[in-house]
Amino acid sequence: MGVGLIVLIVVVVGGILIIAGVIAGFFNSMVSLRNRADNAWHQIDVQLRKRYDLIPNLVETVKGYAKHERETLEKVIAARKIGIDAKTVKEQAQAENMLTDTLKSLFAVSERYPDLKADVHFSRLMEELNGIESNIAYARQFFNDTVMKFNTRIQTFPGNIMAKIFNFNVKDYFEIEEPAARGPVKVEF
Amino acid sequence: MYENIAKNRAKTAFIIMGFIFFISLIGYFIGFYFDYSYGYGNSYSITLLIFALIIALAASFGSYYFSDRIVLSIAGARPVSKEDNPRVYYMVEGLSIAAGIPEPKIYEIPDKGMNAFATGRNPGKGVIVLTRGIIEGLSDEELKGVISHELAHIKNYDILLGTVVVVFVGMISIVANIMGRMLLFGGRGRRSSKNSSGGGIITLVLLVIGIVFILISPLIAMIIRMALSRNREYLADSTGALISRYPAGLANALRKIKENSEIRSANGATAHLFISNPLGKSSVVMFKNLFNTHPPIEERIRRLDEMSLGVGVK
Repeated sequence: MGVGLIVLIVVVVGGILIIAGVIAGFFNSMVSLRNRADNAWHQIDVQLRKRYDLIPNLVETVKGYAKHERETLEKVIAARKIGIDAKTVKEQAQAENMLTDTLKSLFAVSERYPDLKADVHFSRLMEELNGIESNIAYARQFFNDTVMKFNTRIQTFPGNIMAKIFNFNVKDYFEIEEPAARGPVKVEF
Repeated sequence: MYENIAKNRAKTAFIIMGFIFFISLIGYFIGFYFDYSYGYGNSYSITLLIFALIIALAASFGSYYFSDRIVLSIAGARPVSKEDNPRVYYMVEGLSIAAGIPEPKIYEIPDKGMNAFATGRNPGKGVIVLTRGIIEGLSDEELKGVISHELAHIKNYDILLGTVVVVFVGMISIVANIMGRMLLFGGRGRRSSKNSSGGGIITLVLLVIGIVFILISPLIAMIIRMALSRNREYLADSTGALISRYPAGLANALRKIKENSEIRSANGATAHLFISNPLGKSSVVMFKNLFNTHPPIEERIRRLDEMSLGVGVK
């Protein structure tokens, strides 16, 4: 065996090892970014559940004072149901936009009932809802940041090639339709 | 961000090892000095070396696990619950979600001065400490800016390094203080015991090095402290702005804090933890820039204003 052959073998084996190392590194970083995004999604989910749990209470309280607003209340309940059943990030985002809208009209309605506004239970629910909604906004911010990092990793070279091989797909952002819906709903007592 | 965490961990390990080495060396030099003055061969130097090593190991272990509690009690901070202060509680809850870290505990220092710091050995054990002055004196947006800055320290693992250093710096200054006094005033008259250990130039040189070493150790502690905190403040400012998405909040907060950041319970060992120098102007006399643990607040405000693109700047 000549020296040249040995050198060749070393170079080839070394090259393969380096490439394998790079691939493994990228693969691991993609997995960990994906897990981070999933975890961030879970944070949003926790806050959304909190809001879903609160809504039946809120609806019951409003019903006690405003019996004639059946239509508004039913819309809220329907929107909540859609939100709970949502499967994908996109569906969830749409459902949340709808729910936020219906809640807004519920608050508009409640303006007409001074007794309801004076109710201690109602005002505590509102306070809690405000807190949850700003937490949803924060969780959404963290989720979108994380998704952006993941998407950038799998869309830039050489991550894009590896993403194709290992089947990593671009994740959806959790988007809010209108700028007014970004902040917590402002309620005057 | 993640490189930063690794860097902070490595630095912590390095500092802990350096500390152990440093304390052992001091022990050895003290022993060496005794041996020299009493002429007992090398029994003191070995004994004190081992003794110092054990103390240093125990202190390192202790500072890793308990430094947050030590720091909190030095600062005189008390826990704040959701019921005590819902405003602050909800802010911390929301912003820690935005930062993607577990919700830290909240402590309050009953002091009129406006300041804040964070401690804990990892994000899961994070603690945010706010003075009463800062809670009451800042608007919501400004306080959110400050909390985001502290959350950034937690996220970056600055808190582990910063808190461990508090304990080390404190110990080194105490030890150096005691030893310095012993060297200068103790054992001076007893050197009459003639048959000292062979003497010679080497002994004398070692002796001088030892004394110099012990005397400058507070200075070394100070340099370590400074090296840690200046850049980290800029970094935490920008990470914090990313968390709150409102750099002007922190900038406006710093404008208010600047005038009024003095805290009675802060001291030389804890100063570098705070968002703004808590020692007041009177204590920084000479070498102002050299020994400052914090970058100039005007520069921090300028950078934040630049980030905010004019939005919300007062």
